[in-house]
Order: sequence, then C-alpha cells, then structure tokens
Amino acid sequence: MYAGVLFAPLLLLLAVTGSVYLFKSEIESVLYQEYYQVDPQKEKLAVSEQLEEVKRLYPEAIVTKYRPGEDNERSSEVTISTNEESLTLFIDPYTGKSVGELNNEDRIMDKIEEIHGELMAGTLGDRMVELAACWAIVLLVTGFFLWFPKKPKGMGGVLFPRLKKGGKILRRDLHAVPAFWVSGGLLFLILTGLPWSGLWGANFQAITTNTGEGYPPSVWIGEAPVSGVETQDIAEVPWAAETLDVPISSLQGLVPQTLDQVVKIAEQTGIYPTYSIIIPQEPEGVYTLSVFPPKAQDEATIHIDQYSGAVLADYRYDNYGIIGKVVAWGITLHKGTQFGLANQLASLIICLGVILTAISGVYLWWKRKPKKGMGGPTAPALFKTKMFLWLMIGLGILFPLVGLSILVVWLFDWLIIQRIPVVKRWFNV
Amino acid sequence: MKRKYLLVLFIGGMLLLSACSLRNDAADLYKKENALEVKVAVPDVIAADEPFKVQAILSRDGEKLEKADFVHFEILKHDGSFRLPMEEAAFIKEGLYEMELYLEEDGLYYLDVHAGFKGSIVNPRQQFIVGELSEAELDALKKGTVADQEMPSKHH
Repeated sequence: MYAGVLFAPLLLLLAVTGSVYLFKSEIESVLYQEYYQVDPQKEKLAVSEQLEEVKRLYPEAIVTKYRPGEDNERSSEVTISTNEESLTLFIDPYTGKSVGELNNEDRIMDKIEEIHGELMAGTLGDRMVELAACWAIVLLVTGFFLWFPKKPKGMGGVLFPRLKKGGKILRRDLHAVPAFWVSGGLLFLILTGLPWSGLWGANFQAITTNTGEGYPPSVWIGEAPVSGVETQDIAEVPWAAETLDVPISSLQGLVPQTLDQVVKIAEQTGIYPTYSIIIPQEPEGVYTLSVFPPKAQDEATIHIDQYSGAVLADYRYDNYGIIGKVVAWGITLHKGTQFGLANQLASLIICLGVILTAISGVYLWWKRKPKKGMGGPTAPALFKTKMFLWLMIGLGILFPLVGLSILVVWLFDWLIIQRIPVVKRWFNV
Repeated sequence: MKRKYLLVLFIGGMLLLSACSLRNDAADLYKKENALEVKVAVPDVIAADEPFKVQAILSRDGEKLEKADFVHFEILKHDGSFRLPMEEAAFIKEGLYEMELYLEEDGLYYLDVHAGFKGSIVNPRQQFIVGELSEAELDALKKGTVADQEMPSKHH
C-alpha cells in the first residue's frame, strides 16, 4: 500500500516520458530535418576533408565520434568535445560545409531520456528510478500472489469492468480492470528496462557476461581491447615545438589509421549503415564501430586497432550469449523499435494504461482515505504467512535496493513509528 | 523472529551487491578474432641515395607467424610527389618480410604494409624520414594533418 502510493508518481512520470520517447526517431527527424537532409551530388568528399571544416570552426576541439550518413541524402555527423561541452556538427558530405550544429545537452529527446532514466538527477535519480521499478515488480508479484489463491468470483472486475453495479463498483473496476491488463505489459517493460539501470543492471550485465551467456565485454560493460603497439613504435607529433627539438627517430613510427581507412574497413565488415565510429583518445585506444539499430539482430560492436587496422573484436548479435540475445530483444522491444509502428503502439497502450491506473488509483485512495491518517491497511496480516515473508526476502535479495529500502522502513518503523503514538496512529499500525 | 529474516535479507543483499565485477578473461568466453599483429622496422637514420631495408614482422596471438597469405609494401612521399606502387615483400623466415629500398630525395615518407592471413587484414602506415625534413613537411607534422590524409587531395 505505502509502496504503491510512494512510487505511483514515479511510475506515472516514467510512463509519460516513455510514451514520448517511443517516438524519438519520428520526432527527431522532424525537429532536425534541416540538419539531417542534404542534396545528393555525384561524389562524397573524403572524411578528412569533411573534418577540415570542423577544425576550421573549432580549432581547439577534440573529435570524439564520426557518423557517416547512412544514405545519399543524409548528412555526416561529427561529435566534438570542447571545454566541457559536447557538440554535434552536421556536415554536408558533398560540399564539406557544416549545415548545422547541436549542443548535445539541448537535445530535447536526450532530456526526456534523462528524465526517464535518472530523473535528471544523476546517480541518485538512477537509483530512485531503479527502486521504483523494482518495487513495481515486487508489488506486481506479491499482488498476484495475494490475489490468486482466492476463489474467483467470475471475471467481472478483473477482465472487464462491471458497468451496471453502481458508481462505486464502476470506479473500482475502472482502476482494477486496466490494471490487470496493464500489469503484464508493465512487468515486461520494467524487466526489459532494468538491464539499463545503474546498480541492478550493471551487476546483472557483469554476472551474465561472466557466464559467457550475456553480452560480450565492451558491448555493454567491460573494456574494449587495446591496440597492440608499444609506445616507442608510434610516431610522435611535434605539437608545440617551434623548431625541431624532438629527435628525428621519434618522428618515425606508426601513424594512426585515417577515418577514411576506418570507413573502408567498416564497409567491408558489412555493418548496418547507421553506425558511428568512436575515435580513440589514448595512444593504446581503438576505433570502435558501434551500431544499435531498430532491430536487435542488426547490432554490432567492432574494435579496430588504431595503427594496424586489424579487426580486434567483431561482436554481432549472433555472438551474444543466449541471455544477451534476450536482453537485446528486450531493449529494442522496450524502445518500440523492433517491430516498428505496431511495437510503438503496443508500448504506448501499456504506458497509457499505466497512466490511467496510477491516476485512478490515487483517486480511489483519496476517496476512501479517512480524514485523519493515511488510510493504509494494518500491517501484521502481511507477515503472518511464512510463504509471503520468504517471497519478500527472495525479492529483497534479487533486487537489493528493495531489500535495502525494506530495511530502512523497518528501522524507521522500529525507531520512530512504534515509539511516537501520534505517528503510529497516522500510519494506522 | 522478524529480525532474523531481516538479517538474512541484509546479508543476502550485500553479498549480491558486492559479488559482481567483470572477470578479466571474460572476452575469452565469446567469439575471438585472432587478429594479425604487425611490427614495422625502419632504420633510425636513412640517407638519400643509400640503400636501406624495411621489414615487417608478423605474428598472431604472440606467436611468430609461419607464412602470411600476402605481404605487400607500398611507399609514398608525404606530398604525393613520389610513389612506389604496391609490391610483394620478400619472405625471409617465420613471419619476417623484407624489402630493400633506395630513395633519391630527402623528405617525409610513408611505408604502407598490407598483409593478410586467414581473413585478418592489417595495413599499418609507418612514417619515416630520409635525410632532412623541409619546412613545409615540418609544418605539416606540427599541424598533425599528415595522419588525416590518405592521398594528397586535389582540392588543395
């Protein structure tokens, strides 16, 4: 009960932002149309020439990412970082001119994602979202457990609302019926969203990767391989040297692969065309080709030796372990991209259902709440069945944040509520 | 009674939270590439009009390679004014390939090695200097534009 009241607003927020985020690519293609679209001409310029425009505009910036356009009418994107800012420049690959730039912090869809993932409050927000999501699972599971053993009195009020039994019943059913239908969908969305979360997700990913059945390392967590080169074999760049004060021999050595070469290697790998190239910033770093397209089967993470151009690791969907594949599908289904419009609409319906349920739930609580106190049920019933207790402990261990919050609530109960009569009365325990 | 359960919960949760970091050898559990490794050797000092040797040493997984499928060397001058087209390098012994060269002009050069073995292809570019660098070459090095240029562009 209390967990429900506490986390309903959070779930509501997740459902609202999630509904919008489902249509990210549609919204962005309208918002940024002028940045995305270019007039196709005969020949594209070399990447190095496109980068010259970037260097001209931002001589001090570090180029961190390059995304070739996936078709003839799409601009290239160059991501740069200047002092603490990350900008994306859209370059017309035919003229080499910039057609626009975006501060990555100003992207509205990124903001929405940030609310959805961490309430715009960094790690704390991430943990709160995770806590709400885990508690939602606990509520769904325990709710099902509490509801199930009772003898069913017909499906009215569960599968469909009872329209002719008066306003009170109808109000109740308008909460309970969508809730039943939405529960399954919500459980699915939460379970597929959890692998993203900072604590549970990171641990889950580490455990599954360690078993050999998850994502290969570096796709989600873990380090990329390094370029196999010794420092003395790399050609030094006489950056600030006014005169040649570095020995000639140190200027001799390997030079990094050019982006043009990397694009060529990428094309040979047959990677999905919306890929990005993440540019190494350290001498031992690698070029990473990364693509997470709408369909899970097209995903790829490829690491290329910065100097030799050798493909050091080439992880496709087929190379994921079985859990990795399931999680990958879960993520594309969660984002509504796997099956296109049908997927988006199905997820939207679940989100709307969650919104309806949360609002009607709060309304119901408000209607029957006594003038004084929260109106929650008395607690001991919960702890009477051993089965239920073990279920809670199991869930508390499976979702450590839930376990932790139970401990905190118990401490709060033990130290404060049980000792101060007024508070005790208000909470109805 | 209640406290016993909470203790179980607490200990279980803490164990789970602290138990999971990624193993170092996790990559071995997934598809491996067995990529070709290449080391390029060029003399420290090279003078114009004097013969010198360039070498490529190929290995895989830390072991010297017996024989690659192909090893080609290609020489370019930084400004594109000179080019020795791709040519097969001589096989000396286990993974060691060599070519004798003779360059007439001072300047900044590249040796491009193209090698392949069982689907793994490498094409490192070794920068080397013959004699002295010109002012223009030194400037180019300082600007760091060299590495961004595959072929000298006609647009400049």
